Amino acid sequence: MELLLQQIANGLSLGMAYALVALGLTLVFGVLHVVNFAHGEFYMLGALVTVLVVKSLGLPYIVALLVAIVLVSAVAWVMDIVAVSPVARKPGGDQIVLVSTYAAGLIIVETVLAAIGPTPIAVSGFSGIVHFGSVVLTMHRVFMFAAGIVMICGLYMLFARTNFGRSLRAVAQSDYAAKVVGIDVERIKTLTFVLAGGIAGLAGGLIAPIITFNATMGLHAGIHAFVVVVIGSMGSIPGAVVCGLSLGMIESVLSIFLGQHVAATLIYSLLLVTLFVRPQGLFQGALR
Amino acid sequence: MKFVIPAVFVAALVAAPFLPTYYQGLAIYACILAIFATSANISLGQLGLISFGHAAFFGLGAYAAGLLNFYTGMNYWLAVPLAILPGVALGALVGLASLRLSGAYFAIATLVTSEILRLVALNWVSFTRGPMGVVVHRPREKWLEALTGRDFGDLYLMLCILVLALVLFVVSRVNRSLIGRAWVALRDQPKLAESVGIWPLRYKVIAIAMSGGIAALAGGLFVPRVLVLSPDLFSGTLSATALLAAILGGRGAVMGPVLGGIVFAVAPELLRVVDEYRLAIFALLLLVVVRVRPDGLISLLPRRKTVHVRPPSALVEITPRQLPATLSIEHLSRHFGGLKAVEDVSFEVRRGEILGLIGPNGAGKTTCLSLISAFLSPNSGVVRLGQLTLSTLSSHQAAQQGVVRTFQHTTVCMDLSVYENVLIGTHLLLPETTAAAVLRLPAYQQRECKRQALAWAAICFVGLEERANELAGSLAYGEQRMLSIAVALATRPGFLLLDEPAAGLNHTEALVLARLLTSLREKGFTIAIVDHNLRMMMKLCDRIVVLHHGRMLAEGDPVTVRNTPAVIEAYLGTSDEPEKQGATDA
Repeated sequence: MELLLQQIANGLSLGMAYALVALGLTLVFGVLHVVNFAHGEFYMLGALVTVLVVKSLGLPYIVALLVAIVLVSAVAWVMDIVAVSPVARKPGGDQIVLVSTYAAGLIIVETVLAAIGPTPIAVSGFSGIVHFGSVVLTMHRVFMFAAGIVMICGLYMLFARTNFGRSLRAVAQSDYAAKVVGIDVERIKTLTFVLAGGIAGLAGGLIAPIITFNATMGLHAGIHAFVVVVIGSMGSIPGAVVCGLSLGMIESVLSIFLGQHVAATLIYSLLLVTLFVRPQGLFQGALR
Repeated sequence: MKFVIPAVFVAALVAAPFLPTYYQGLAIYACILAIFATSANISLGQLGLISFGHAAFFGLGAYAAGLLNFYTGMNYWLAVPLAILPGVALGALVGLASLRLSGAYFAIATLVTSEILRLVALNWVSFTRGPMGVVVHRPREKWLEALTGRDFGDLYLMLCILVLALVLFVVSRVNRSLIGRAWVALRDQPKLAESVGIWPLRYKVIAIAMSGGIAALAGGLFVPRVLVLSPDLFSGTLSATALLAAILGGRGAVMGPVLGGIVFAVAPELLRVVDEYRLAIFALLLLVVVRVRPDGLISLLPRRKTVHVRPPSALVEITPRQLPATLSIEHLSRHFGGLKAVEDVSFEVRRGEILGLIGPNGAGKTTCLSLISAFLSPNSGVVRLGQLTLSTLSSHQAAQQGVVRTFQHTTVCMDLSVYENVLIGTHLLLPETTAAAVLRLPAYQQRECKRQALAWAAICFVGLEERANELAGSLAYGEQRMLSIAVALATRPGFLLLDEPAAGLNHTEALVLARLLTSLREKGFTIAIVDHNLRMMMKLCDRIVVLHHGRMLAEGDPVTVRNTPAVIEAYLGTSDEPEKQGATDA
């Protein structure tokens, strides 16, 4: 029982990383109506920047985290200019974007591999442990979970209360109607893409001390995020958060009884069944 | 142009044995990727379904052939054709699933399927030896090598070129047959497809089963190159390669994926000079190509001229199918939430008449039409065609029975020519199998001629023969309306249901339409028509049914209906109740 609780707690922090990555992916799908194949690479870059800033510049972890968010947002901005917005506007663009973002992602991974190499690099986050009854968590996992919660609440406020948020939701529902009422749709889309990149960068920075950085971590995270986003209904933010956290917990709990691969097979089979029973995902309804 | 592609293949076949070993290996890989990308393009290009998991079929084919050889000692080259079967079976299953899943959901379902297979291959160690993989011996055929004086590499490459040519031959023939037309219709205008009797399930299953079989074949061919079965054969990178090669080469053309496959095989090798940055630079090139040429590399080549069709020698008359005398609508009701769109409506459509269905906006006319053509199922009541209950059928079955509808909004495939659109309408004329479409025996060609003759007759009947070769999207609005009637006529409907055919037509065009419908009646067609052009309806129709708020208000000949007080009230309101709810458009 204690082991179970412990694994649930561990799973929650892992799930928070899934949720943050999935959040960006679902946001991009909801607003830009395209699938970003390179989204996992933002997550990898976030971890990379954090590791490099701490190791090479000797700056504190928290500063590194902020640098990661800013830099990854900048990369996302460039990617939007080069590979997303000019392509998505063309007829049949939603399929072409798959290729252009895949190519952009490949450029990032291969450049990192060529420059840094495939060896994993570890970095330490916050030290210390926290006791919750019988459950023991590292300080870093607690911080990670808290940071995720703050991020999600912040996003919620952003969408609900600000002008940008209202415009974003308008664009999510209809490009055309948003244009009619005078919203600069292209600008909103670019900002959304940058925001999504920043969130993924944060997630990467947060996870770096837990799973050690390696250049191919983005691929795995991208697939996981995709699974989370589809089960949670494409474009649904609560869906991404709930499913991301659940996936983290289910993985951790299953790892008590089953090998990693068997657990993954089980999760994927569950996903297939879910898709057949509810083809629209569990959290129907886009960004509203 | 017609002989260029076969000539290229013959040249490749002749040149194959003279290549140095390294280039032979590369060419083999290019052929296999070309076959694989062609397979991915069947679901992507023809059905518009993005599959992220095509490696599932590829790996299945590779493992099936390799394990058959490993465990039973069967000749590897006999095992390869057998390995197509599991690919076809899995494809048929995915095809069934594609009815429920589309877009991103289809993509993720395929991705997960290939992941599951990869994990099974990785963990079923007693059968697949897991991550160690199964080593397959190089399947040499010594007698053939002795006979031809060529070594293994020569023969292997020649086989790959032949298989690629065969696959392209099959795919292009199927694409240009009734089956390919059904795919395009399902992709571009699924409702139109059903209205002319195309059964979505059958054609999606055929498409993805075929795609799966071809991918499995590619997988089987791949094994002698790597000589080891590893779970990486199911990897996401491989799936992405097939998908991206198809998009990079060009989805629209049969040769597109081939070009893409070749680029994906060759480009990373050519870039070996830049060493560790080669994949990054390859990706950069990919990005540039996609930005500059979104239609793929194939669009750089000179375009094949569109084939101009000529009227077939034997002209036919369009005639209705002989059906039971009446289509009877009995106590039909349909609710949407609290809205009673159609409530207890009963009337008959009698053979040989034109029946008008009128009523103010929101009266339930289109709903009524959708119920009769089985596009909607009623909450209660039935639609009967003689002994047959139509309302329990699905829409394509109703079309099979000869009840065919058109749509209020122009519904034609804009990227196809007028002629191709009408050919889609001839879908039900004669049954066809995939094998017949590939073999094109004389019997098939006769059937195709009959379809073409019927399509021409329908085009001539609506007066579009001058524009038969033009794209439907380039027609004027009025002509597009006529085209959708021609598509419906090509099904030889016993009962033709027209939903606002005159909407948006000017006076002259409406007169032409009215003349057209009158002559259809003379040919023995039965027509039920919904329209707001009351002047035309009063002249044209033998009988008129008036609907208002989903209920029957009146039924009878135009003069009687026009003088019914309730009808006048519904259209114009009454003088002592000016505020009464009722649409006033007429």
